[in-house]
Amino acid sequence: MHSINDRNKEIGKFIPAADDDLIICRCEEITKGEIRKAVHDGMFTVTEMRRYLRCGMGLCQGQTCAKLTKNIIARELNVSPSTLEPATSRSPMRPIEMKILGKEEVNKNERD
Amino acid sequence: MKRYDLIIVGAGPAGLSAAIEAAKKGLHVVVFDENLRPGGQLFKQIHKFFGSKEHQAKVRGFNIGKKLLAEATQLGVEVQLNATVTGMYLDKEVIVKKGDEIFHFKGDAIIVATGASENSVPFKGWTLPGVIGAGAAQTMMNLHGIKPGKKILMLGSGNVGLVVSFQLLQAGCDVVAIVDAAPHIGGYGVHAAKVARCGVPFYLSHTIQSVSGDEKVEKVVIGAVDSSFTLIPETEKTFTVDTICVAVGLSPMSQLFKMAGCKMDDNPKKGGQVPVCNEWGETSIKGIFAAGDVAGIEEASSAMIEGKMAGVCASEYLGYCSSAEQAKDLENMAKDLDSLRQGMFAIKNRGKKIETTMEGIPISTNLLKKGFLSDADIKRFSPTKKIAGVHPVIECTQNIPCNPCQDACVRHCIKIGKDITALPVVDTTKTCMGCGLCVAACSGQAIFLVNEDFSSDYALITLPYEFLPLPQKGEKGKATTRSGEILCDAEVISVKTSKAYDHTALLTMKVPLAMSEKARFFKKVKSYA
Repeated sequence: MHSINDRNKEIGKFIPAADDDLIICRCEEITKGEIRKAVHDGMFTVTEMRRYLRCGMGLCQGQTCAKLTKNIIARELNVSPSTLEPATSRSPMRPIEMKILGKEEVNKNERD
Repeated sequence: MKRYDLIIVGAGPAGLSAAIEAAKKGLHVVVFDENLRPGGQLFKQIHKFFGSKEHQAKVRGFNIGKKLLAEATQLGVEVQLNATVTGMYLDKEVIVKKGDEIFHFKGDAIIVATGASENSVPFKGWTLPGVIGAGAAQTMMNLHGIKPGKKILMLGSGNVGLVVSFQLLQAGCDVVAIVDAAPHIGGYGVHAAKVARCGVPFYLSHTIQSVSGDEKVEKVVIGAVDSSFTLIPETEKTFTVDTICVAVGLSPMSQLFKMAGCKMDDNPKKGGQVPVCNEWGETSIKGIFAAGDVAGIEEASSAMIEGKMAGVCASEYLGYCSSAEQAKDLENMAKDLDSLRQGMFAIKNRGKKIETTMEGIPISTNLLKKGFLSDADIKRFSPTKKIAGVHPVIECTQNIPCNPCQDACVRHCIKIGKDITALPVVDTTKTCMGCGLCVAACSGQAIFLVNEDFSSDYALITLPYEFLPLPQKGEKGKATTRSGEILCDAEVISVKTSKAYDHTALLTMKVPLAMSEKARFFKKVKSYA
């Protein structure tokens, strides 16, 4: 992660490609072109990308696209994917309705 | 908040094995699994496993699952299903979603055995309905009894792609092709061979260019790729299909470790992000262990041993066994694990170019490119000496850790020896009685019984057969070659089933004598209503 935090890294201009309209994050409908462009906008980490585009922030929480997004960013930065820190893992690990998340089983004594 | 000695996340092969080991030492164990059924991937695995007796070789995956579950339950392990662990925090606290409520639990030790998720690959049209994971196809078929499609193209020639392709054929689907961008078949040659002899073509160094259809998959175009995986123009081939199965590898589902603060490592050899562990699965946080695919993609057989190791270490950590007892247990388990991590497909050999077997025989490149052994390969691997009467012919040409054939033969006709990755050899000094136990025991379906002395014009070939409905005695059909090409007429002489064969039927067919070295599968011509 630290190695690619150097924002002075010259990555060249965004060059449009034929497959830019390919959807990568299906939950949030984010395309390959949008991700590539975002790298040129200065989003060098997976976490930044998630906040900027919301890719990997949908229902499946990046279960399908996390690796794909990481690979696209890495290729654009011309680094190995394993040098990029994956996104932060947070609870809940699986999609949960807010009403369930708010309904914790609490010991009766604790509640009183 | 309820407290347990040991919380295990995931009731797959690793999780259940860990639970059994820990419960044996007296720990109070709970296993949470988000699925409705326990067993993880085991309950989808209808094929026989490789390995040796200690690794449950020749037992079908789902039966291993049943055995593990029964043993765990008997030992008092609490298995909670439909219970999703959605968070893991400091001090080994987990939150679990059950029904429409959230519960808190605390473990004195935690073993995370959450397994892996399927990778995907984007191509034009990959979001169309009908593009599914190979694992999803397996779930549909083997757990829910639903055919994923009629005409299917498989992307990926690793063991998952090969095994699922065979199961799709068993379910009555048409597998039009197996496609892989790599120049060689990734999975075991024997798995490839049993698909190839059913007539499924392999397209190596090929990838999907596009998938199209109005509302669902109707057509797929594949193309050849060069060594940098770039499509070569004008190499397109089009197939009419309704389903694309994607089997392009797995990624560890290791998020819980990261959440709890374990040190992580991004390791492409292990399939992605994994917790940093010692050799027994303990992470950077004392008392939190990893076992199975979540610690690095391998196989169910190794996951079970890793689970056992983590179970023993958790017991020692909590003082339920002495470190001397732990050391003794671990030594034996390490031996078992090591014997599985040998051979051409072992992690340590990944990426290495292997040119000969450990016996020094040049490997079959045809098997790696097309999925079947060429006639020249057969000559190289099989003894040229003619054997009178019925005898086994073994078409096992890669060093994989597996030896049930040696144990199956009561006459000791088949020898592998101590090193279970060695190739089996037929001992011609012993007489085969044609019982066929070796044919049924071979998890790779690579053993045939051949009798070239049946009559002056005909030979008998006995082959493993796992398709329903079973052909009838006297039925006339076609014998096919190793590549699935129709070779000649064949008549079914017998179809034997037995409990000892464990649902592998032994089909004996009569073919012209000249075809005895080529005929390796029976194709039905009769239509079944």
